[in-house]
Amino acid sequence: MAKIALRRVTKSFGSKVAVDDLNLEIEDGEFVIVVGPSGCGKTTTLRMIAGFETPNMGTLHIGGTLMNHVPPKDRNLAMVFQNYALFPHMSVERNLSFGLRIRHTSKKDINTQVHEIAEMLSIDGLLDRKPSQLSGGERQRVALGRALLRKPQAFLLDEPLSNLDAALRTQMRFELKRIHTQFPVTTVYVTHDQVEAMTMADRIVLMNKGEIQQVARPETLYADPANVFAAGFIGSPKINLFSAQVDHSGGQSVLHCLATAIPVTTEIADRLRSAHSETVTIGIRPEEIVLRSPMDHNPGQADISGIVEVIEPLGAETHIAVRVGNETLTCRTPPRSGFEVGSAINLCFDVAQATIFDGTSGLRLC
Amino acid sequence: MTTVARPPGSDDIVVAEPRLRSYIRHAVTTTWLLPSAALLIGLFVIPTIYAIYLGFTNLELLGQYAQNYSFTGLANLQRMVHDPTFWLSVKLTLIFVIGSGIVAQTVLGLALALLAQRVNVVVRASVGAIVILAWVLPEIAVAFVWYSFSQAGGTLSHLFGTPKSDLLSTAPMLVVCLANAWRGTAFSMLLLSAGLRNVPGEVDEAAQLEGAGYWRRLFTVTLPIMRPTLMINLLLITLATISDFTLIYAMTQGGPGNQTAILPVYMYIEAFQFNQLGYGTTIALTLVLIGAILSIAYIRQLRPELKDSTS
Amino acid sequence: MTYQARSLKGDEVSADQLAASTSDSSAPAVIQKRRSLSRPVLTLLMVIIGVVFLLPLLWLILASFNPGADDTLALPHPFSLTNYHLVIHAGAGAAIMNSLYLAGVSTIIATAVSTMAGFMLARRKIRFKGLILILVLFLTGLPVTLLLIPTYQIFVDLGWLNSKFYTSLVLASMSVPFSIWLLKNFIGQVPGEFEEAAAIEGASEISILFRIVIPLIIPGILVSAILTFINSWGSFLIPLVLDANPSDTPGAVGIYQFMSANGQVQFGQLAAYSVLFSVPVIILYLISSRWLSGGFSFAGGVKG
Repeated sequence: MAKIALRRVTKSFGSKVAVDDLNLEIEDGEFVIVVGPSGCGKTTTLRMIAGFETPNMGTLHIGGTLMNHVPPKDRNLAMVFQNYALFPHMSVERNLSFGLRIRHTSKKDINTQVHEIAEMLSIDGLLDRKPSQLSGGERQRVALGRALLRKPQAFLLDEPLSNLDAALRTQMRFELKRIHTQFPVTTVYVTHDQVEAMTMADRIVLMNKGEIQQVARPETLYADPANVFAAGFIGSPKINLFSAQVDHSGGQSVLHCLATAIPVTTEIADRLRSAHSETVTIGIRPEEIVLRSPMDHNPGQADISGIVEVIEPLGAETHIAVRVGNETLTCRTPPRSGFEVGSAINLCFDVAQATIFDGTSGLRLC
Repeated sequence: MTTVARPPGSDDIVVAEPRLRSYIRHAVTTTWLLPSAALLIGLFVIPTIYAIYLGFTNLELLGQYAQNYSFTGLANLQRMVHDPTFWLSVKLTLIFVIGSGIVAQTVLGLALALLAQRVNVVVRASVGAIVILAWVLPEIAVAFVWYSFSQAGGTLSHLFGTPKSDLLSTAPMLVVCLANAWRGTAFSMLLLSAGLRNVPGEVDEAAQLEGAGYWRRLFTVTLPIMRPTLMINLLLITLATISDFTLIYAMTQGGPGNQTAILPVYMYIEAFQFNQLGYGTTIALTLVLIGAILSIAYIRQLRPELKDSTS
Repeated sequence: MTYQARSLKGDEVSADQLAASTSDSSAPAVIQKRRSLSRPVLTLLMVIIGVVFLLPLLWLILASFNPGADDTLALPHPFSLTNYHLVIHAGAGAAIMNSLYLAGVSTIIATAVSTMAGFMLARRKIRFKGLILILVLFLTGLPVTLLLIPTYQIFVDLGWLNSKFYTSLVLASMSVPFSIWLLKNFIGQVPGEFEEAAAIEGASEISILFRIVIPLIIPGILVSAILTFINSWGSFLIPLVLDANPSDTPGAVGIYQFMSANGQVQFGQLAAYSVLFSVPVIILYLISSRWLSGGFSFAGGVKG
């Protein structure tokens, strides 16, 4: 088990920069998920940790040792590839025992360990089969088994669930988390799926265009995103984002948006002023919006009126898309709330609970 | 967010790769490439360059010019240009390539490919096997079989209704072309079959709905779509046929007289029967030149399609 | 999306359908005038072509078993193996052994050399790789006719004439460009992930090579080897010019010499010789076509 530290790591391919000045410290035993859209540099980062790519600049330390040019075979890591990379000409048993055979482990030990892992992953009936005879889920477990058998100082997983169907994916998420509890090895897991990141990670590393956007625990990332990108990437349904003009001219500062003016507290106003923001982006999670029929309007409450555009019943809840002026806001409501498409509706939210980002830089202000 | 690579600044850390590992990796790569390189350079590249030189010398197989030969400038070229046999040979080569290669093999190959689409599996597989067998047979065997076939009293003569005449003497180019067509059709058949399979069925059906008959569809829809395949086929046939030696030499030795002396055969005769190694090389160079020109012409024809598929 | 050419049966209205549609009074009959030829006609046409192609082959086989064979197509009378015995004793056996040597040695050399080069070109970064690949591609198109005389001259100077080994070397080098291309592309198709997985499992480069890479590229190696063997086996001009040693004569040259040897052409024996010489190649072709099944399996020629 080991700490992994990347300091000022940069990797380019020709003139294209894949990873730019990356700094990341992963603690011993931590389950870290690197997530981001395709092309963000997450796979390149993983491959640098594995040793298949070498950083152009910066240092990589695993377990305290400088590893920039150490070949993959000497790093004592294990990796699960996106397409599993099971050796097609070898049986499951030989695939699993490959690493052990390389190290000239005794036949008896190999046998014991292979059967132990196979049982744990429920693949002990498949030991004589070839990979081509296995289903996707079975192959994935063999790949996992091969990695676990090595007892490495860290696990690397490259989008391991992306080739599985939805039901299997959910099941494997539980399995992986359970295995990590049993074998608390430092794990670096790469995916583009934010649900996997949110459900499995101790900490999430969010990347975009070669740079780290934010490193935080899932709850923190959700509640306090560092910038517009982070807010928009994490959370399903996606956070509602719309721009607003800042107006300090009146006694109380207001934000002009959604065809209305929303007053803000002095605390928020001060922050906006000191950041010199003229336009901001407001982010409101769907669950933070309360929907009311216009009939229930209480005078004295600042409601925003809109028209119901789309209703998506999901069973346990319903998503409603409401059109307000030029913007469409998504809201979550309990099932059977009785709203109808095309009808007028009132939205209500507390701007103090919302996240406000600077209009130009995208960074979070409050 | 930068997307353009920048060179290392003063506060960047660059960890260099250990020298030894780098050397070893390069050494292994080079060692593995060396045998091929040696073989290709020694037995391919050097002879080619040597050929370009030899073509302008008076080297001979035996005699005084075998050891002491010299550069003779354009003498060989002049001799070639004024050599009636050379021009005959060029003509024969073109007849051979166009007649047996382009016309016979392509037409037959295409016919078989089209027929194969519409007959049942048994006929398709068995006729296919026969045609392919003709192709797999070593060239010398093909030469022998057709030699026998076209003798006086031979089967071919009977078929042509001239049982007494030795077709190889009376119509040598014809026999030789037939033999080559027989041998090479399978290649066209296979290549064009594959090309036909890639013609979208929907396009042909659309044409049918428009009322186009079979032949019209073939010429205005199917063949134009198959153009790249047809061009590649022609290119490969041309290159293979233009330098074909064994078939004709084994059957006729270029004769009777010079009636079947296509360029490769003529080259051999000049070089190894008349001892003119230098002149023979000149002929060989000309042959390669003709092949290169034709190749470029074909590839030019392919360009529009290549552009389409990459844009 | 895959497109499939379909049999054109669909548009043909058979005689029965025509009859049925005209007799059905409730629906107006759409009578399509059949423009294309019917299936039986086409089948006949193909069979005729097949028979025409078959005649020379038939003659060859029949003549080889016919002690009194001449140049006409006739059934063997009596059917016997005399021709085979005679021709083997007359040198065919030795010649075929020589062919085996030439083809075998050139195949081993060409395949080994091309596999190493193909692997490096497929996997490693090499300076001027693009240039090298174009050069190799260009060499595949160079005819042997050009190389013949200069190679002969070089062999004279080196004293390499009349040697089976050096002739094999030339045959090997003729196959190398195409083999390198074949193997480079083949190896390029094998995903690099297997090698990476093996590397991270702790395998050294040599280990990876023998345990992972070679097992995965064996089909490519075999195809390359078989193609080289077939080409070298049938080679005529090169051994003719480079090796005049009578005891080195390979099958192709042997058949030629036999043709012009005795005053009267020994049709039967030559037929037997030709059959003997052709059989190994045919077998190899059959074996390899199973691997290259897509292109060669004519029985699966038309999809759906």
